[in-house]
Amino acid sequence: MEKYDVAIIGGGSAGLAALKQLANLGKQAILLEAGNKVGSKNVSGGILYSKKPKKGRVFNVEDVFGEIFFQDAPFERKITKYILHATSKDKVFSMDLTAAHEYEANFGYSVLLNKLNGWFAEYASESAQKYGGGIVSGVHVSSISWDGDKTIVTTDELEQFEVKAIIAADGVNSEVADMTGARPKFSPEQLYQGVKVIIKLPEDIINERFSVDSGHGAAHLFAGDVTLNHIGGGFLYTNQNTISLGAVYHFDSLLENPAEPYTLINELLKNPFVSEFIKDEVPKRAEIDKKLPQEDQLRIRFAVTKMIKSWYELRDAALSSHKKNDLMKSGKFVSEKDLQEKLVLIRDQLTSKYKVSFATDYVEAEYSAKLIPDGKRCRMKKPYFKNILFVGDAAGRGIFVGPRIEGLNVGIDDAARAANAISNAIERNNFAPTYLGESYVQSLEQSPYTKDLTEIDKNYLKIFLDASKDVPKDIISSRYGTIMKLMSSGAIRSVAVKFANILGYDRLLPMVESVDTYVKVPIEIAQRLGTTITASYSPTIPSISERIARLSYNDDGQSHIKVLNPTSEFMKKLVVLCPTNCYSLENNLVMLSHEGCIECGTCSQETEWRHPRGEKGINYQYG
Amino acid sequence: MSQLNVAVVIKLEPDFSEGSVSYNPDGTLNRAETKNTLGPHSAIAAEAAFYAKVKYGARVSVATMGPPIAELALQTAQRLSNADELHLYSDRVFAGADTLATAETLKAGIKKMQGDIDIVFSGHRASDGETGQTGPQTAWKLGFTFLGNVIDYEVDLDARTIKAKRLISLQGFCDIVEEVEAPLPVFIAVDPSYKPIFNTVSQRLSFAKYRKESEVRSKNHKYYLQVFNVEQLGADKTLVGLPGSPTIVYKVERIPQGKAKRQAEVLDGSNPEHIRKAVSKIREALSAMVIK
Repeated sequence: MEKYDVAIIGGGSAGLAALKQLANLGKQAILLEAGNKVGSKNVSGGILYSKKPKKGRVFNVEDVFGEIFFQDAPFERKITKYILHATSKDKVFSMDLTAAHEYEANFGYSVLLNKLNGWFAEYASESAQKYGGGIVSGVHVSSISWDGDKTIVTTDELEQFEVKAIIAADGVNSEVADMTGARPKFSPEQLYQGVKVIIKLPEDIINERFSVDSGHGAAHLFAGDVTLNHIGGGFLYTNQNTISLGAVYHFDSLLENPAEPYTLINELLKNPFVSEFIKDEVPKRAEIDKKLPQEDQLRIRFAVTKMIKSWYELRDAALSSHKKNDLMKSGKFVSEKDLQEKLVLIRDQLTSKYKVSFATDYVEAEYSAKLIPDGKRCRMKKPYFKNILFVGDAAGRGIFVGPRIEGLNVGIDDAARAANAISNAIERNNFAPTYLGESYVQSLEQSPYTKDLTEIDKNYLKIFLDASKDVPKDIISSRYGTIMKLMSSGAIRSVAVKFANILGYDRLLPMVESVDTYVKVPIEIAQRLGTTITASYSPTIPSISERIARLSYNDDGQSHIKVLNPTSEFMKKLVVLCPTNCYSLENNLVMLSHEGCIECGTCSQETEWRHPRGEKGINYQYG
Repeated sequence: MSQLNVAVVIKLEPDFSEGSVSYNPDGTLNRAETKNTLGPHSAIAAEAAFYAKVKYGARVSVATMGPPIAELALQTAQRLSNADELHLYSDRVFAGADTLATAETLKAGIKKMQGDIDIVFSGHRASDGETGQTGPQTAWKLGFTFLGNVIDYEVDLDARTIKAKRLISLQGFCDIVEEVEAPLPVFIAVDPSYKPIFNTVSQRLSFAKYRKESEVRSKNHKYYLQVFNVEQLGADKTLVGLPGSPTIVYKVERIPQGKAKRQAEVLDGSNPEHIRKAVSKIREALSAMVIK
């Protein structure tokens, strides 16, 4: 049997950081990723932060990957604007929270994980190779067993092998946690469900519309009527030449009042404030004359498809300084004028020859969904089991406090700490939980992120309250008005935060995270103080089947999900709550067709749920 | 563990994929207009050599006889096999060679390769000549044991032996897998159905490492390339090219194409009526199927 020092299960940002950190420490590690390519199953909002807490230290992405991260990593934009919007129909009231976004931060970059994790993988595997390790993709771990002091890993694809320690970085639906019983499955009140669409928009248009320089970007958060009465909200992040638009809601709130996840995205798309941000010039095909011979009809259809594709590509390049320069360098076009002329030519041909019209609309590229662990409620207090250390989402560690949304950086910090603990264990040849597990827990306890997961940071709260000082407190009819008024006094705030932290998140959260906070108050604020936005068009929103049709899968004939009880109330709600409509109700029984599954795990609570076998399942292109 | 040296003999062939092939009015292949590519069977042979690289850390040399353009096939084969050495045997003297004369050239080339070659891989047959003779004849000239239709192999580096699985088709009756063992060196003609399987972590790790290396190498393939003319190869001029060829193809007759029995029908995917029609046809076909 082959032997390796460390196996890392899961090639997300945390797993890859663990691999890199172990290589930094000169230790041998292999990373096993089920997707056919690293990054193909990863989804995030997302912003990747690097933090500099006043007390204590965290391991940031650049600490693990080095300065090369800044020179070479494919992040999207540095977020320099962070704005919260309260919505009510066509009215929006905005609050600038950039100060809160920049609180104790070195930077926050918008990222697309397929690209970024691909880059992490490149660097991590190169370093890991030096010590006899590396990345093995397309491999799904099916069990872990112990025989005396031997730890044996079994996969669906490869021969068994032996390791000294394991890092479980297999995400929110951690199968390692499930198969070892290290923690119970997360319950609905411990989870958020997030759905996201990627919208295409040329780089220069983004710069202009969001008033940002090239390389800089904006983040917008939404609460109010766009939530359709659920606890949570929407987000919009600018990427280099796409936009991430998503909706994140408490899963228990969705269960209470089930709504198809995509309708929550659609609600955002329909909001005039959002639709104006994403609008673009979009070619619309004309009906092909049905009287023409069928072969001619096909020929026209192909020609139009091809032309529209090249129009998009050229236009995207023409409206992006990066791509324009690349095109000039490649010699395809001698000058910008040359490029513009070609663009006009294609457009003319499309309109005159094929009767294609150009209208204001938006272009959606990819639909995705993911469960997000609410670290305040579900972090594992002792994230280890025997010689397995859990990191990131698998350990239930993500910071979500109001507008503060941090997951990737927490996973990277955990991963570095887990790698450090394992490195020490290798040197002492001691993998006992009392040493390895406990030293990891100790290191986590020292992490400022763990503190953020357990109590309110009064300095952050002050920044948040300062930002909301323009909101007249007396207009808020609920008890919040009084609380906010009181909290704006430093002395009272300090006492109140102390008192709140004595109460603890467990008792505090149900009061703070309520329909009042996310829905009623924002609606009221927007109605009374908001400016009216007029929509210049109404977006053509794709249906869910159109969205699924655009995704790429490597179909698995065998289902990775088994419904346990087809008559349970939970499963009946899944008919509505599954983001890709995999469930249907027939004769009062819940039926599953796994083909469109995007592996979010929303249904995992009451199903036998595992990831598909190696290389199978969803392949995200953006993530 | 001792070193393993393997060679692959490949061929640049007309690309018979749609859109690349061009015919003369009389129905013969228009070689000038048709694109050329690494033959599909040669590609499989290159993959079999890559398996030796991944599993045994073998040194891989790839060779072909042909015009200068055949360099393209060597480059593609290097991308597939991460070859350490590329040989092109190119000389007007080699022109007009039949399988026997080609085998003589290849033999001379293989003897020029670095290290003593333990295994030579070739494709099953070429997609243009279709004789399947060059491989066995080269093996005979080299004095290597010939193993044809190989679908899997395993080398014992210490004992210097090879165990191979051969797929034998008893025409129309059934297929059987024969397991044979032979001392090295051997000449393997790889079966078209060969598919390498990498099922240990270490194999997957070296697979990833060598695959990445091969991308880089094939971009700089000229660095690995050696071109030999007949003198440089030291081959006997009477045994290569036209003089060394006992067979001459003097006429190619075209077999008239039978009338196609298939009846294709173009259906429009955006028309629900057409989709219904397609579904009912599939249903019909399925109901007609008898599951044995």
